[in-house]
Amino acid sequence: MATLSINNVRKQYGSVEVLKGIDLDLTDGEFLVLLGPSGCGKSTLLNMIAGLETISAGEIRIDQRVVNEVHPKDRDIAMVFQSYALYPNMTVARNIGFSLEMRGQSKTERDGAIRRVARLLQIEHLLDRKPAQLSGGQRQRVAMGRALVRDPKVFLFDEPLSNLDAKLRVDMRTEIKKLHQRLGTTVVYVTHDQIEAMTLASRIAIMKEGVVQQFAPPQEVYERPANMYVASFIGSPTMNFVRGTLSAEGDRLGVSVGRERSGFLPLFQAPEQAGHWLGQEVILGIRPEAITCYDPAIAAGNPALVKVACGVNVLEPTGADTITYVELNGHEVVARIKPSDRVAEGETADFMIDMARANLFDPKTEQRI
Amino acid sequence: MSSLTSALPPAQGTGARIARWGLYLILLLFAAYYLLPLLLMITTSFKSPEEIRTGSLLSLPRDFSLDAWSYAWNRACIGADCRGMAPYFLNSIVIVVPAVVISTIFGALNGYALTKWRFRGANIVFGMILFGSFLPSQVILLPMAQTLGALGLAGSAGGLILVHVVYGLAFTTLFFRNYYVSIPDDLVKAATIDGAGFFQIFTKIMLPLSLPILVVTIIWQFTQIWNDFLYGASFAAGGAQPVTVALNNLVNTTTGVKQYNVDMAAAMIAGLPTLVVYVLAGKYFIRGLTAGSVKG
Repeated sequence: MATLSINNVRKQYGSVEVLKGIDLDLTDGEFLVLLGPSGCGKSTLLNMIAGLETISAGEIRIDQRVVNEVHPKDRDIAMVFQSYALYPNMTVARNIGFSLEMRGQSKTERDGAIRRVARLLQIEHLLDRKPAQLSGGQRQRVAMGRALVRDPKVFLFDEPLSNLDAKLRVDMRTEIKKLHQRLGTTVVYVTHDQIEAMTLASRIAIMKEGVVQQFAPPQEVYERPANMYVASFIGSPTMNFVRGTLSAEGDRLGVSVGRERSGFLPLFQAPEQAGHWLGQEVILGIRPEAITCYDPAIAAGNPALVKVACGVNVLEPTGADTITYVELNGHEVVARIKPSDRVAEGETADFMIDMARANLFDPKTEQRI
Repeated sequence: MSSLTSALPPAQGTGARIARWGLYLILLLFAAYYLLPLLLMITTSFKSPEEIRTGSLLSLPRDFSLDAWSYAWNRACIGADCRGMAPYFLNSIVIVVPAVVISTIFGALNGYALTKWRFRGANIVFGMILFGSFLPSQVILLPMAQTLGALGLAGSAGGLILVHVVYGLAFTTLFFRNYYVSIPDDLVKAATIDGAGFFQIFTKIMLPLSLPILVVTIIWQFTQIWNDFLYGASFAAGGAQPVTVALNNLVNTTTGVKQYNVDMAAAMIAGLPTLVVYVLAGKYFIRGLTAGSVKG
């Protein structure tokens, strides 16, 4: 149980700057997910928290203590590796107890701790086996057991689920979440999987090229992305970006898409700065699920819903939803439609856009307006 | 042999069968080519001098006798010293065992440090060590003689051990370095976080994983050092000489009638330890040489 604060942390390899000033603050018991594509510096940051990489500038504090110069074993952290990194020559029990062995605990003390962790992870029957005799999921559990046994202040996970098959990954994800709820330990978790990030995190830090793009709770990251990079990284299918001009019709601000009058999409609760953008080009960001088939009953009760007529290009049924590519005033956008509402390809139908969930971006800086 | 699975398809048709038998014939010829000298040595060592003079070179001994072996072991004259090969055999053991152990341990440590604790210039250091394995052994004769003289180790078993350790390090480092490259770095990271230090990680994690390469290195070093003649002849004086030098002296200093049976027995005695080591650990040798080349 601990707080973790990362202040203006930088990492340089020669003249290459990998991390360009990272600032993150975690309260006790938070679950931070570092999310980003490979090469964004998220694993480097994790290794620096662990003490496996030196810190070029800035400081990292665990429970208010600056740990920049503290040896990994004295930071009171535990880490789960992508490759699990189980010691192949030792039994499961010795793997789990190795950190206690290195800290000079007696055999009886160790055995108690090992058994407690094994019970928690349901791997008691595996204690005498060697890692090579375990399945992927079992190895994963042992790796977690090794981290749990010391009751550390901070858990570090380095893409722990990416070596598992799809079904096991989902199961283990849920289990990690349950474990976190039960233990309440502060966690830093590195992944490139947006679903893992959304489901596990109390806050997500999305990174790109050594810079944190947004540091916020998952729902906020999803609904109010800080820039177009974050908006496109999270969500599948990705957010629709439509170029338009910010214009006014009567006393309502909206985005004009294409030349036709019907291309005016009034904004619901326009952002404060939107007035400065009048007459200028903006990028309208709409999530696929904000575009649905027109239903008069629903539309009447919600002023944010705007009715538009669109031609349907392609349908992609996924079972739960039908992903529909439609033509919105010359721009192809993706809509997530209920299978029962599906419209035949090539036809034109009425859709409604939930403008309360629309985002506006600056086309030059790609930042949120 | 039928239990062995072959990667080749089974022979089918007459042509293929003839080709297969042709293959066996060639293999048999090669085997004979290599085994004949050994057979000759063994049979000759069990014959009496009489029989060697009168009988055929390849015939089996008529009167099987161990005389030549016992004579070579503790009565043959090497120079003026007529105690046989035994004391020199012991010399070799005194030299080989520590030299193999020390060079293997340091090779393992070097390989571990070069792969898992990478420092600035680790590759350059490795390149320089690697260069050592390409050095012809004659090149270091003079500088090594000077060094041993300066250290006061000239002519002693200790000096010879040092020479073999230093010369062998290039090879042992190469073996262990290439083996440890294939062991994931995450193991070392995990052990570091678990609280193990440089030597604890080495002894508790790396060494237990090193059995295949350990066997390869030991066989390699044992064979090299046991069979060494050049350094033994150059750096060891009189009573400290290894068995290879003694064999040479024994064969060269025989006066009167050449005792081929004794020469052969002495040669067998000198060569036997490497043969035994290879027979006992040979399969690990092959396994170790190919370890890491295929992901397990």
